[in-house]
Amino acid sequence: MDFFSFGKIIVYIDKFIKFINSIFFLVLIIGLSFALIISPMDYLQGDTVRIMYVHVPSAWIGLSIFSIIAIGTLLNFVFKIKNLYLFVKSLAPIGLLFTCLAIVTGSLWGKPTWGTWWAWDARLTSMLILMLFYVFFIMSFKIFKDSEKLPQILSAISILGIINIPIIKYSVEWWSTLHQPASIKIMGTSSIHSSMLVPLFLMLLVLLLYCALIFLMKYKTEIIKIKKRNIKRL
Amino acid sequence: MINEFLNMGGYGFYIWTSFLIVTVFCFILYYKTKKTLKKYEKELAQELEKLPIEHRKRIARSSKVISSILASQNKLS
Repeated sequence: MDFFSFGKIIVYIDKFIKFINSIFFLVLIIGLSFALIISPMDYLQGDTVRIMYVHVPSAWIGLSIFSIIAIGTLLNFVFKIKNLYLFVKSLAPIGLLFTCLAIVTGSLWGKPTWGTWWAWDARLTSMLILMLFYVFFIMSFKIFKDSEKLPQILSAISILGIINIPIIKYSVEWWSTLHQPASIKIMGTSSIHSSMLVPLFLMLLVLLLYCALIFLMKYKTEIIKIKKRNIKRL
Repeated sequence: MINEFLNMGGYGFYIWTSFLIVTVFCFILYYKTKKTLKKYEKELAQELEKLPIEHRKRIARSSKVISSILASQNKLS
């Protein structure tokens, strides 16, 4: 398991950070050019559809990160793997940021298309609940910092929070909501044209690179904190 | 043409605000994360500076994390 030692990990972290820094701005410029200039406007929504290029990837990232941290927390609870603890701690703030961004950009998209900034419908409310789960999760690290109960508390939040994920996903099908149903399907044909799909995936790539960069820096910080605490034992 | 681009068919406020909010908040998180990382790197390097030079060299040889931090701080002597 030498591959997972902090020494090995930190070498790869530095390499990945350098790699992301070297390509990030190029990918960002290409993504923004497609999202704001090259992609066509929607025949119904006009140019407001461009908000999709930041709203949809943000929502996907917010949902995915919570699913990952929930699985990670449960695995850590069972197998007590220290790396997993650092992994979920480093990921959670990124998930919170993108969940908040999905809500705010969704609201900015909602006003010109629905005529309202906010509605207490199933999709919007379940996203707000996800944001609260993120807040509880992050607060637990601060409140129960030195408590032995922390893994149990994180696991409880994860289990309750993960139930919300399919509710968010299927809320537009189960209930009558203002939010449109999914246009992109993993199984089946997507109802979105490639001229909009390409910018969407380019912006997803930009935000994923950003997430990776923040995650690696946070993970490295956590490793350094541990080394600093244990310096006298070295 | 630039005005047309900025106006975005009359929806410029909503579109530019969305992109601006994402940019600003992503930058804030990046800045805070980088600042925290640098702070802990510096603190660890300062703690190591307090140790006798032989002890510091031995730690740097045995720990890749420490040697990487010392190298980044240019304090490996």
